[in-house]
This record gives sequence, C-alpha cells and structure tokens, in this order.
Amino acid sequence: MKKQLRHAVNAGGIFGIITIFLFLIGFTGTAADLFSDLFRNKNAAPFLSLNPQMLNMLIFLGLIGLWAGAYGSRKSKSQTNDPWGTALIGGLTAGLVHGLLVSCLALLVGTLSLRGVRINVYLSEVLPDAIKLFLVGKSPLQGATVHIVFLTLTGFLGGLLSRGVGRGSWRVRSGAAWNSILEKISQQSIVKQVRGSRNTRYVVYGILLLLVFLLPLRAGPYWNYTIGTVGIYVLLGLGLNIVVGLAGLLDLGYVAFFAIGAYTMALLTAPQPHHLMWSFWIALPIGVLLAALTGLLLGAPVLRMRGDYLAIVTLGFGEIIRILSKSDALTPFTGGPSGVKAIGFPTLFGKPFNSGVDFVYLIFLAVLLIIFVTNRLQNSRVGRAWEAMREDETVSRAMGINTLTQKLLAFAIGAAFAGLGGALFASRNVFTGPEDHNLMVSINVVAVVIVGGMGNIPGVIAGALMLKGLPEVLRQLEDYRVMVFGALLIVMMLWRPAGMIPSARRKMDVIDTGVTETPQEESKP
Amino acid sequence: MPNVKPPARRVTTYKIVQGIIGVVLAGYLIWRLFVVFIANPSYGPDTWARFAIAGLILGSVYALVAIGYTLVYGILRMINFAHGDIMMIGAFGGYFVFEALKSIPTPTLADPELTFLNAHPALSVIAAFIVGVSIAALSGYFLEKIAYRPLRGAPRLVPLISAIGASIFLENAAQLLFGAQRRDYANPIVLTRGEGWGIPIGGSNVILTYTGMLTVVISTLIMIALYLLVMHTRLGRSMRAVSENKQVAALMGIDVDGVISRTFIISGALAGAAGVMWGIHLGLVYHFVGFIPGIKAFTAAVLGGIGNIPGAMIGGLFLGLVESLGPAGLGINFQLKDVIAFGILVLVLIFRPTGIIGEVLTEEKV
Amino acid sequence: MTVALETRSLTKQFGGLTAVSAVDLVIQENAIFSVIGPNGAGKTTFYNCITGFYEPDAGEALFYGKSLVGLTPDQVTYRGISRTYQNIRLFANMSAIENILVGEHARLRASWLEAIIRTPRVIKEEKDALEKARQLLNFVGLNSLGDQLARNLPYGAQRRLEIARALASQPRLLLLDEPTAGMNPHETTDMMHFIRRLRDELSITILLIEHDMRVVMGISEQIAVLDYGAKIAEGTPAEIQRNPRVIEAYLGSGAASGLNDAAKQPA
Repeated sequence: MKKQLRHAVNAGGIFGIITIFLFLIGFTGTAADLFSDLFRNKNAAPFLSLNPQMLNMLIFLGLIGLWAGAYGSRKSKSQTNDPWGTALIGGLTAGLVHGLLVSCLALLVGTLSLRGVRINVYLSEVLPDAIKLFLVGKSPLQGATVHIVFLTLTGFLGGLLSRGVGRGSWRVRSGAAWNSILEKISQQSIVKQVRGSRNTRYVVYGILLLLVFLLPLRAGPYWNYTIGTVGIYVLLGLGLNIVVGLAGLLDLGYVAFFAIGAYTMALLTAPQPHHLMWSFWIALPIGVLLAALTGLLLGAPVLRMRGDYLAIVTLGFGEIIRILSKSDALTPFTGGPSGVKAIGFPTLFGKPFNSGVDFVYLIFLAVLLIIFVTNRLQNSRVGRAWEAMREDETVSRAMGINTLTQKLLAFAIGAAFAGLGGALFASRNVFTGPEDHNLMVSINVVAVVIVGGMGNIPGVIAGALMLKGLPEVLRQLEDYRVMVFGALLIVMMLWRPAGMIPSARRKMDVIDTGVTETPQEESKP
Repeated sequence: MPNVKPPARRVTTYKIVQGIIGVVLAGYLIWRLFVVFIANPSYGPDTWARFAIAGLILGSVYALVAIGYTLVYGILRMINFAHGDIMMIGAFGGYFVFEALKSIPTPTLADPELTFLNAHPALSVIAAFIVGVSIAALSGYFLEKIAYRPLRGAPRLVPLISAIGASIFLENAAQLLFGAQRRDYANPIVLTRGEGWGIPIGGSNVILTYTGMLTVVISTLIMIALYLLVMHTRLGRSMRAVSENKQVAALMGIDVDGVISRTFIISGALAGAAGVMWGIHLGLVYHFVGFIPGIKAFTAAVLGGIGNIPGAMIGGLFLGLVESLGPAGLGINFQLKDVIAFGILVLVLIFRPTGIIGEVLTEEKV
Repeated sequence: MTVALETRSLTKQFGGLTAVSAVDLVIQENAIFSVIGPNGAGKTTFYNCITGFYEPDAGEALFYGKSLVGLTPDQVTYRGISRTYQNIRLFANMSAIENILVGEHARLRASWLEAIIRTPRVIKEEKDALEKARQLLNFVGLNSLGDQLARNLPYGAQRRLEIARALASQPRLLLLDEPTAGMNPHETTDMMHFIRRLRDELSITILLIEHDMRVVMGISEQIAVLDYGAKIAEGTPAEIQRNPRVIEAYLGSGAASGLNDAAKQPA
C-alpha cells in the first residue's frame, strides 16, 4: 500500500512539474486557442463566469489531470490483485499532489503579478494576460483553489477510468496496438492482392501516381510549397537512408552535401557573384556530381572511424562548410552572409518551368528517380553488402566485401542525392544563403530516416510527411515545433527505435504464391 | 628456427591518402606561420600575451566540460550530446542567483544604493556556484534517468539520437522559458568583467582579469578534487571498474546503475560549474550558449584520449590556447576560429583517434 | 601431394603477451587437419592471423605457395579461404538465404552502376546466385528455412548456415572454429559426418579447431596441439593421444604418468 502511495505521489509530482513547465512556456494559452479552434467555441457565452478561452484551458488541464490520475493509479507489476480501492486512492493522491503543485504556482505567480513584479523579464511567456487566464480570471487565492480542487477531481476520475479500461504497460500496449493496426492493414484482402500480384501492384502504383500528379493542380501555392518541401526532404531522407539505413553510418553533417548542390546551382546560374548565367539543366548535374565528389573526399579519411566519432566528425564538416560559406573571407566566392540571389530556374522546351506547380512536378520526378535507384541498389549485390556491413562489419569483410570501398560508395551516392535536393531547393527558392544550411537540416533529415523507419522507402516517406508536413498543418504550434521535435526524438527512441514502419523482408526462397509478407520488426539485441 | 624477416606493413591506399592530407596541411601551417611571424609580424608580445591568457582561461573551462564528456563516455561508451546544454543550465542557475541577489537592497550610510550582491560578493559567488552546480547535477541525473537508462542495451545509434533529441529539447525549452535574448551576467562590482591586475609586458599593460583568475583557480581546484576522487575513493574505483567491464563490476557487487547515476551527477556538476564561470567571465548567457563549447569540449576530450581524465584536462587547455592564438597565428579571420576547433577535431579523429595521450578503452576483438 | 597451407614461425604478440609463438604447420590439400589445445592457447588468434584480421609480427603464412601476410580479410577470401566463428556470427537480421548470398559476394561481379541499370548480365548473375544459394541451403540440410531470419533459426541450424555461408565463396580451404560447440552427441555425430562430406564431395581442405575430443580423434587425419601459443605436438590421432606433453598441457603436470587409460579414447 505504501509503495502504491509513493508511486502515486511521484506521479503527481511528475505531472505537476510538467504542467508548471507547460504554463511557463506559454503552452496553456496556446492549447486553449487550439481547442477553441477545434471546438469552434470562441464566441460562445461564458459559463460559470468563465469565458470560452478559460474553459478550453481547463479542459486541457483536465486532460492532463486525468492522465496524472491514470498514471498514478497504475498497479506495480508484482501485485496480482487490483482492487478498485487502491486505484482510486492512487488517482486521488496523484491528483492531489498535482493540484497542490499547480496551485502553488498559480498562487505565487498571481501574487507576484498583483504586486507589480514583471515576471516576463525573466520568463518571457509569463505575461500578465497569461497569468490572468491561468487564474481563470479570479484572485490568486481563488484561482489556486480552483486548480487544486479541479485537478484532484480529475485525478480521481483518471484513476477510475484507467481501472475500468484496463492495465498494462503503456509502451507495450501502444506498441502492440500499432503493430496490430499494421497487421490489420496488411491482412486486408486488397493489400494482400496488391502485394501478391505484380500486375495489381503496378496498377495501384499507377493510380497513386496519377493522384499525386493531379494534386498540385488543385492545391494552392502555400500547399504546393509545402508539398515541395516534403518532397525535398523525402529526397534527402532517401539519400541519407542509404548512408544510415543501409550502410549504418551515422552522418550528422549531411547538410554539407545539400549545401554543395544548392551553392553550385546558385553560383553557376545567378548573375552575382560570378556573372555566369548557365542553364538550370547544366548546373543540376554538375551540382550532383560535385556533391558526390565531395562525398568521396570527405568520406575517404573519415569512414574508418567508430560510429559516434563518425557522427561528430561529419557534424564538424557540416559546420565547417556553413561557417566558411558565411565568412567574409570567402564572400567573393560564395556570396557571404547575404547569400546568392536570382538563382536560375528550369525551362521546358524554351518556356520557363518554374511555377509552384512545376516545381512540385520536378521534385516528384526526382523522388521517383531516387526511389527507383534506391530500390535497384537495395536488391543487388551492393545492397546486400551494405546490409551485411551494418549487421556485422568485421565478418562482412571476411565475406570478401571491401568495407572501405562500399562505405565510400554509399557515402558518395547519398551525397549525390543530397546535392540533387539542394540544387532543386535553391532553384525553387530563387535564393540561398548560409542559414539555409545549418545543423538542424542535418538533424531533421536524420530524424526523417530514423523516425520514419530505417532502411525502407515507405518509412522515409512517412517520416518526411510527419516531420515536415504535420507542423504545417498545426501551424499554431510553430513556436513549440523544435522543442517538440527534440522530445519526439527521445520518445521515438524509447518507444520505436526501429521506426514507425519497420522494414519488411522479401521472400526469395518460396515460389511466388501470392502469400503475404509479414512485417518483421527489428528488436533490440 | 629459420630466421624470417618481419612481414611488410600494409601500405593501403588509405594510408597514402592520409599521408597526402598530412603533407598538405603541414605545408599550409608552415606557410601561414611564416607569413605571420617572419614576413609580416603585426602583433607585439603584449597582444600574444593577451591571447595566451585568454586561451588559458577558456581552456580551463573547456577542460572542466571535457572531463564531464570523458567520464560519461568512459562509463557508457556514448557521447552525451546534451552535455553542453547542462552547462547552459548551470549558467542560467548562476544568472538567476545574481539577479535575485541584485534586487535585495542592503543600504548603508555610505552607499544607499547597495545591494546584497555587491555587499557580500564572495557569498554571492558561492551561492551562484552552489545553485548552478546543483541544478546542473540534478539535470544530469534526470537526463540519464529519462533519456539514456531505458536505452542501455540498444545499438549505439539509438542513445545517440536520444541524446541529440535531449539537446534540442533542452535548448528550445530554455528558449521558450527565458526568451531568446542574450542576457548579461550581473557580476558583483568587485568582479566586474575586464578589470584586474595590470602586468606590463612588451610596452603596454596586459590585464589579468579578476574573473579570469577566479576561473582558472576554481577550475584547477575542481580538477584536482576530481582526480583525487577518481583515483583514491571507493566511488572512483567503482567508476573505473564499471568503465572497464560493466558485467564483471556488477558481479563484484558494484551497484552499476548507482555508479552510472553518480557519474552523471558529477559530470553535470562539472558542467554546471563551467557554466557559471562562463557566465561570470564571458558575461553572455542564452539558450544556445552550450552548443559550441560542448562540441569544443568534446574535441578536447578526444584530443586527450577519450576515457582519460588528465588527458581531457590537457586537451581542454590545449584547445583553448589554440583557439585563442590560432586565428592570429595563422593570420586568418577571427570569424573562423570555430573552424580551427572543428578542424582540429576532424584531424585528430582522422590521424590519431586514440588522442595525443592515448586512449584508455579497449577495442573490439574478433 | 600439394601443400594447401603452410605457416613458418608464425608469431603474434599483444604487448607483452605472445599469443602465437613461432608456429610451423604444413597442411596437405584435401586433408582434415585439427588444431587443438587448452583454452587461450592461441588457436583463434592463429586463425585471425591467417585470415587477415591480425597482422603477424613475424613469420610467414603461405596459401598454395603465395603469402597471406599483409592481406586484408576480403583479399584473403578472394584467394579462397573461408571461415566460421567460435561464437556464431551470422547476419542476424537477414534471412538465411540472404546470408548465403552475402557469402557469394566475392564471386559475383555486379557493380553499383550495373545494379542500377540492371543489364542482362546482372539479371543472370543474380538468378544464378540465388540458385546456388538454394543449393547450398539444401546441401547443409536447411531446405525450407531460406526465408527465416538468421536469428530465429535453432542453434544447430545456425551453425550449419554459417558453414553454408562460408562455402558460398567457393573456398579451397575452410577454417572451422569449434563447429560442434553447444551440440548434443547426436548433433555432434551429424556434424562429423557433414564435415567428412564437405571434404569428400567438395574437395576442400578443412582446418578444424575443436574441443570435443571425440570429433577431433574421429575425423582428423592430422592434429597439431598448441599450448601458450606454441606448437607442442603434431601427429596422427593415435600419436597425439599417447603424447605425454599433450596430456600435461590439458590436465596439468604429473598427469601424464597416471592417465594411460584415460588417454585411450574411443576413436
């Protein structure tokens, strides 16, 4: 019983800190706004002297309170019986502690604010309006009381709900849930048919492609730009996928090759600073080739290193290139901190092909090409060699694989893809500068590959959609995007280190009888 | 037994490439040094002295952070990417202490505007250190507990990504909490930045700043204390045992999880102290302040041989000096001083990954 | 008879420790040759020196007359030497058939460009490689397990898969490192037959590190005994069983005198 209580108190404490943190970063207000968009109750009449925004905030806090209670009432693995009593007391205690912490904060913040202390000098999101919202428009003491009562209640309810709904580790259960969703999808007769028969597969791909081609014509310029960006990140993700997913080399400086492609396109087609105004179609392959070459050069000294060392060194390379492109010393060559403007655009049969829609098509084409190349490589001697290297490098050498050459190959091909992405990116944006090529780009691409699913193509696409598409949808959360991204990386590693869509294994031994492939998950060794 | 000559060493293309790079770089260095020192000397000994002193001070801060990296790498074989951000947390901790003490009025007849900060500077500094170090140590503890411990058995890539995520999270959480603006450390008046004892060198007055001296002294004391801890206490022995072989240490009755936690606490404390000193001496504190020093400190740790504590200290000092003297010495722009640090990192990892002093960890066997 | 592998004074040191000390061995073509010795005698290090994982500090190793010293592991495989490992080192997350296909890497020639374009030559090469992998799978008795992930196979099947993978590069010399470790007597007998089959049907030379004396005495034609890195005895099974130095090495000094009966193991 005591252990239960301690667990519940801990839970309440953890959630208390989380809620306090959320308030301090101003998220309680943002959540309220999100909910008001969701429930469309912005102009509703006040309820119990609470305006809609306050109500929404309370709903948000209530949800957290429920969760706190549910978490706090969890029984430990060793207990066999699970009486309602313990669950309810657990929920209640957790809610109480949660509420206590939050109400103390409300009291403190409210009193200080009343005294005229400008808290936002130190905590920039704790503005007077935010404080007022948090206190639901009441005095500090009253607001604090509201919190403690409300959160204790919701904690209790949370305990009640969780006991009613079912137990088990959330991680295991959610993982199992996701797996069963994937299973269900793959068991659907349609999917079976598609997977089994080659012809059906082509038809389906054809239809998908057609849809994808028609989409940009209907979507507005903003969405086309977003789709284009997602497309470029798919490109980059596929390229990095070869390096990280297939060959197992963690490259944190991938943006360097992106930059080479972008700057090559920029410097060869723009009027400044070199007065070359070459055609887009000439600059593009040059950019790709230069990026590949840089991959070889950068890779040669570096690929013998241990995994984490390789990561840091590549990060160093990326930063070196960024700093150099930004430096004044090299401005005559690179355009310096202000970048390069008026980058050339592609032409089709003499006419400019550079509208938003046109670029989306171009990027699609590039993505298709890359998918084609990746697929061919993956299912060849080279792809197997890469996979073997990733599994066990020492033994793969004994298979006759020259690991150095193969790693260089992977690195160079990955770099080439990044160069392609960079060139397209620069041309589309008509402008590029050093700040387009910072570390976060590398990390974003790494996240796309890893969050999406290492070593497989649908995973990368899913990753790009999630990481680049989703934030555009939830634009209100713009300020929190990067922080959430960081937390997401941690959560993904804890929950699904193999990625959202783990690699499926091809069947090579069995004669093709249309049997479904079952997705195999890579488990931790 | 017939007398056989030893087999020829493998002359791989790799070694040829290394050789070429080495020659090119050496040539560049010699050329630049020639230009700066012989062909076109523009700095007098006083300027060099200033650079050197700044480098030493910077180096002692890097050394502290580097030791933190090396401790964690030795024990877990992972790079704690978020270590620089722990330093940032410590820096913020000290900042808030100074801000709080700055607003406590302790007026006297002589000085009606006196604040606690200026009335009791020693106490204030100690308080700043205590708070900064504690918060950073706590953060290190929770960081390990949340983001690293559950991933203990996973392949190398996974905890590294988690560490990157933690770093990004911490930086941006700090930005959301405290805003993006760069904040000034409010030093007590006796410790105003830039003031110190003047030493005449080469014709002008080279200043040994109070803040700088404080930094060097405190760093040295901490490093000595740490070395004693690791070499002569039970905890230190346990730490060394766990870094050699986790399983065997567990079999010997060592609480491996506890040792790892304590290592992170110590490492965090070191970073926190470094953060406070960074704030006092360099003055600027903001959410991103830990990122580049973190990478540089890692460079220093690698320089000295990762896993090797005295090596990390020497590596830190060396890196600080090179970074300070480098741009002037090579006659290149000061903007590029980070390039020097990154360049050293890359070069060391290419040419001598075991570090200048030599690595303490064992390699994989077939 | 041709000599497949010959080592002359092969020596490997790690700091102050001499792991392999001036070992001279001559292994005839098509022989089944065992290397035995107490744990830590340097047998696996010896393998590593031959296969290019370690560079010997002194001495020579000749494969059909050509020196192996200074070669990288992939080059050694090209020359025709393959091995298995003491702790099974399959590619755990690849299927059995993929493991064997990786083993064929040295004998396939498709480059990355050809792989992207998929020339007819590459298509044929891949088809043949798959066919050959299936044959090897059947040869080692893993007929229907091709698509199983290597890590999901039972232990005995994994050992045999490792051998299949080693055979995929068409070696002339196969180094087996404790192939019967962890097997029950029934499986061990199977393995013994299998090894003999390997030598008979594929005409390869087999070098064997083994601890199970029944296997060693049962199938070897020639045995070398290492102790503390040095070769202390060499000969036929019968000779080795009676050799007092060998007995001492395994059982400690003074054991030789009292163990005449124990030394006579069933062959």
